[in-house]
Amino acid sequence: MNTAIWIKRIKCLIIVSAITSIGNMISTTKAGNPVSPLAAIPGLFFLLVCTILGCIVYELINKVSPKNLPAIAYISLVTILLTIPGFSPIAEWAIDATNKVGLLPLCTPILAYAGISLGKDLDTFKKQGVSIVIIALFTFTGTYIGSAIIAEIILRSTGVI
Amino acid sequence: MNEHLKDWRIHALAFVLTLIAEFIGTQKFAFGPLAFSLIPMLYVLIFGAILGGIKVLPHDMMEEASPYIGISVMMLTAKIAMSVGPNLEAVINAGPALIFQEFGNLGTAFLALPIAIGVFHMGRAAVGCCFSISREGSLAIIADKYGLDSEEGIGVMGGYIVGTVLGTLFYGILVSFLTSLNVFHPYSLGMACGTGSASMMSASLAAVVSAYPDMEAQVTAYAATSNLLSSVDGLYMSLFIALPFCNWLYKVMTKNSRHYKDGVPIPKAAKNANK
Repeated sequence: MNTAIWIKRIKCLIIVSAITSIGNMISTTKAGNPVSPLAAIPGLFFLLVCTILGCIVYELINKVSPKNLPAIAYISLVTILLTIPGFSPIAEWAIDATNKVGLLPLCTPILAYAGISLGKDLDTFKKQGVSIVIIALFTFTGTYIGSAIIAEIILRSTGVI
Repeated sequence: MNEHLKDWRIHALAFVLTLIAEFIGTQKFAFGPLAFSLIPMLYVLIFGAILGGIKVLPHDMMEEASPYIGISVMMLTAKIAMSVGPNLEAVINAGPALIFQEFGNLGTAFLALPIAIGVFHMGRAAVGCCFSISREGSLAIIADKYGLDSEEGIGVMGGYIVGTVLGTLFYGILVSFLTSLNVFHPYSLGMACGTGSASMMSASLAAVVSAYPDMEAQVTAYAATSNLLSSVDGLYMSLFIALPFCNWLYKVMTKNSRHYKDGVPIPKAAKNANK
């Protein structure tokens, strides 16, 4: 295991948690249901622990097998297993704690890093901008029509409609 | 230890940008029945892009910021996964038919990728943009596999921005149009609303419900269940099926295209030079 990578990882996760706790307070206050940074800490700590556990699983598997899934697959799996009510003893506490942290306030600091690094890719963005906008709209259309077609087939074949 | 404290400016800037963005907060705009909204995470992207564009940020700072996207996005994955465990029972109860319907989400790739390659001759950004509707989970997948500053990253970020700004507006128009065609049963239209994004679902559902007000309860139930399923299986579906499929389709389509060489689009300038 590479110590420098782990220090960087844990440092970043702690900083992001700290920024999120304050951003979360501003955003929840605006929504009329303020959550203090202190109240958000248990939830953020739980997410941080899940992330680290997922990374540990990833690195352990990396050691024994050259073929590995991306780390986020393990992080997601660890989090899911720890939050199934009845299966995990801490599920209810964890769900309750993380509900105090909004999804969007957690996204903001992440995209702040993305924004800071975006400057160096601006030229690529400019070159591809228009086509990306059009293609993105086609993906929205595709997922809706694709889902509607399959839904129509299923509902008809099962006799619902 | 000192080297780990050296990049404090990046984190301080991320903190300041986040604070400003959250203080501005979500802003909603409406023109008659059409509405769109701007949210804090768009502001931080725009602030960053402006600071980089006017060369206020040194280049090494932009470089050093990029690994932190990959690390912080892992924590976002954990937050997204929080919606799965508590809903697992509801998903199992939804039955196999509804679960099969999830494959409809692959329509993104079937429709958009051929256009991206055939019409726009896009590079790998097409894969990042086409494997999903580019929501938060897709950002996490691309950040983890390719990095957000890769070609694929530019595709998914572009899709994310478009979806956030125009998603609800676009779905409102698209679904009203599809509903008026009378091709699909209202239940199917309702089920299709569940794309895994709450705001997009609300916009498309509103369009269906306004056309079939007497079926509101059933249509809403189908939409909500399908949306729940999409948010539960979304990450794994994208990672194990949609992304590999897009990579395969990209390879096949670019292999024999005269606009591509070794899977990379040939720049226009080079093409003219060859003539």
